[in-house]
Amino acid sequence: MPLKLLTQLSCRNLFRHKRRNLMLLSAIVVAVAGVVVLNSLLRGFQYDMQEAAVSNLTGHAKVLAPGYLDDPSIEKSFQLAKDWRPDVADDQLEGWAARIRIPAVIMSERETRGVQFVGVDPQRESISFLGSVAHRGEALQSAADRRVVIGESLAEQLDTDVGRRLVLITQGADGLNREAGFRIAGVYDADGENLEKIFVFTGIERLQALVDAEVVTEVSVKLVGNGAGESSIKDSLAAFFDDLDVLDWQELEPQAAAMFLFADAAMFIWFLIMMGALIFGLVNTLITAVMERIKELGMLRAVGMRPGAVVMQVVMESTLIMAVGVVLGILVGWLFILWLGEGIDLSRWAEGVEMAGMRSLLVPRLFMNDLVLVAGLSLFFGFVASLYPAWRAVKIKPLDALRR
Amino acid sequence: MNELAASYSSAAARPALPMLNVRIAWRNLWRNPRRTWLTASGIAFAIMLVVFAMAMQLGQYELMMDNATSMLSGHLQVQSRDFVETERFEDTLPGATELVRLVESWPSVLSVAPRVEAFALASAGERSFGAMVVGVDIEAESRTVRFLDFIQSGHAPQGPGEAMLGSVLARNLGVGLGDEVVILGTGKKGGMAAMLLEVVGLFTSHQLELDRGVLWTPLASVQEAFGLGDEVHTLAIRTNDLASSADTQRALADHLAQGAPDSPALVRNWDEVMPELHQAIEIDKLGGDLFFYIVEILVLFSVVNTFIMTVFERTREFGMLLSIGTRPWRIVALVQWEALFIWAVGAAIGLGIAALLVFWLAEVGLYMGEQLSEYTAQFYMPERLFPAFSIEAFTNAPLVMLVGTQLAALVSSVRVRRMRPVEAWRAAE
Repeated sequence: MPLKLLTQLSCRNLFRHKRRNLMLLSAIVVAVAGVVVLNSLLRGFQYDMQEAAVSNLTGHAKVLAPGYLDDPSIEKSFQLAKDWRPDVADDQLEGWAARIRIPAVIMSERETRGVQFVGVDPQRESISFLGSVAHRGEALQSAADRRVVIGESLAEQLDTDVGRRLVLITQGADGLNREAGFRIAGVYDADGENLEKIFVFTGIERLQALVDAEVVTEVSVKLVGNGAGESSIKDSLAAFFDDLDVLDWQELEPQAAAMFLFADAAMFIWFLIMMGALIFGLVNTLITAVMERIKELGMLRAVGMRPGAVVMQVVMESTLIMAVGVVLGILVGWLFILWLGEGIDLSRWAEGVEMAGMRSLLVPRLFMNDLVLVAGLSLFFGFVASLYPAWRAVKIKPLDALRR
Repeated sequence: MNELAASYSSAAARPALPMLNVRIAWRNLWRNPRRTWLTASGIAFAIMLVVFAMAMQLGQYELMMDNATSMLSGHLQVQSRDFVETERFEDTLPGATELVRLVESWPSVLSVAPRVEAFALASAGERSFGAMVVGVDIEAESRTVRFLDFIQSGHAPQGPGEAMLGSVLARNLGVGLGDEVVILGTGKKGGMAAMLLEVVGLFTSHQLELDRGVLWTPLASVQEAFGLGDEVHTLAIRTNDLASSADTQRALADHLAQGAPDSPALVRNWDEVMPELHQAIEIDKLGGDLFFYIVEILVLFSVVNTFIMTVFERTREFGMLLSIGTRPWRIVALVQWEALFIWAVGAAIGLGIAALLVFWLAEVGLYMGEQLSEYTAQFYMPERLFPAFSIEAFTNAPLVMLVGTQLAALVSSVRVRRMRPVEAWRAAE
């Protein structure tokens, strides 16, 4: 039987019961739109968390002296040639930065706290959160800047502000303590109190002078996009710095990496559950559609329709309504995401969100790959759901059916 | 059909057969067993899934709250109003002994642990790190919180000159049990505060902030070294019931306002002390609810569909019933009863399976895998998750589905009111 005729038959059958099929279609649309929206939110959460982890002075890959992670001190440092740059094509490299990052004690006139003292070249810090935060006062101007910038929360704790002085105590390269005064150039407002409390920044040359060594403790490299080429950059860094450790962001932020994988699994589970909920209605409706037409199908068989064509017709009906549902569902989901606009403001739960390693604006992300997967799997489920009804339809004996 | 019609007409004449509708509804259900089972399975699927997931979710929240509060912070905390704002060393609670006695005298308070928190430089040899020096009364702490369970080696600091260090701090300082640590800080009146302590214990909690930056030593010696009198920063309180800690908080605040009117003391509940945990729970709940409702709506669509088909197929039957004088509302009621039975079958199966799963997991727990546990440990979650036997979890989904199926039946059967018996009679098979 020609495919065109079968399609025509299936279409007409669907239109015979508008109310019922419209209801089924709505269910499919809700399921698919729900999956698309939940998927985009989860993807948003996933990439947000990755981005936050990477921009938390981590980068996609990082070079460290062996043992630095266990004992983050100036002794675990290395020298970096002035003209070094990562061996990555320009269109893949977002940026790189060398830093000194060592523990220090910070003191205002009134209070004392423990911090991570980070020497940076501000021009290179577009790859970390420092490059995008807002400052009160001024940001650091150059690698030679002798002032510090501190976080808003730390400024509150220390009861200090822009223009005032702070004393920092840290260990020099010779193992002896160094104590030096710094003027506060600016106070930054990062997305997360923990960052604000932990990181104090100054020019890298100033910090090198303080510890008395022209060294760095880390080189961080960030790639364009989501870091698709991170394994190759890791290899090329490892080849160059053969006596140093090279780690990627998954190794540096194992918790965020675990959560990243978990989100992938969660998306799949959600999809299966939604399709599971949908399939009961789908099978129910298709069975009814077959049972109502026993007489009709029996007659078609009696005049010579092949069993295969009967199966095809039921499968076709299921697939057709599923296909329309998928298209509409994706459209509805997409419109809903557009309606969400810039993202969902989670700042009411700012601290809880920070605890999960996210930012307070959840931006939904829609990936073509996910849509294709959702569409493909939905059609597959539609096919599976039609198997039992199709089998019932084939079982109809022409003579019995006609006699009814 | 004749029997049915007869019973209906007689029922219309004699409304004294209340159970008739119920019996007919039950029989109608099994005229198409396949459809009934499919619809009931859908309902069972939704109920099972939501009940089970909710029980897991609530169980996880209970554990998180319990772990988080009993780890270190306590159910309630008393601090000076100013200290809550800025965590500055000089904002202490004066008259600590009297305050502790006052708090302890409240009936729903089980125990109180007074603490002093001073930021200082901890040095060993040529290494120096900033650390929070916490002065504690070990005996009171062991009654109030469980952080002493996390001692990795050695023992808790008992006498003067003894200290317990977070394991990362100890590693950074390069010290082990028996080594000495020098503490240098600023006293209350601006003078130098110095302590020489021996490491007697190491502590690993997997809360990085604690492992990396905290040193515990007896309360009295910190008070003395930092120039404090009878002052503390924090009272950590264990109440008799975490679930009603907010009530205790209010009562205790009034009690303190009367007993010590001049004290700057502020009583805070755990959700104020750890807003991040409270918020993480709220936001997780929101995401869960969104998902649950979508699944429930999906299944309700198929329930609506079932009733549309049921009513459509029985147009002839209903037309006949109408023509012999059955009131339309009786037919609507009949369909409502059918919906109730389908729901009951689905709910029984769904709840049954969910209960089995919940009881089974309550025994063995659900293991999350090593990597994920590390992430979830931040939220004070244990390695194994156990479900909660909560009334909310077991009733929410069944009730939503009950209301949903009734509405689904109603929207499909109100058509009967507009039916004309003669046309319905004529309707094709």
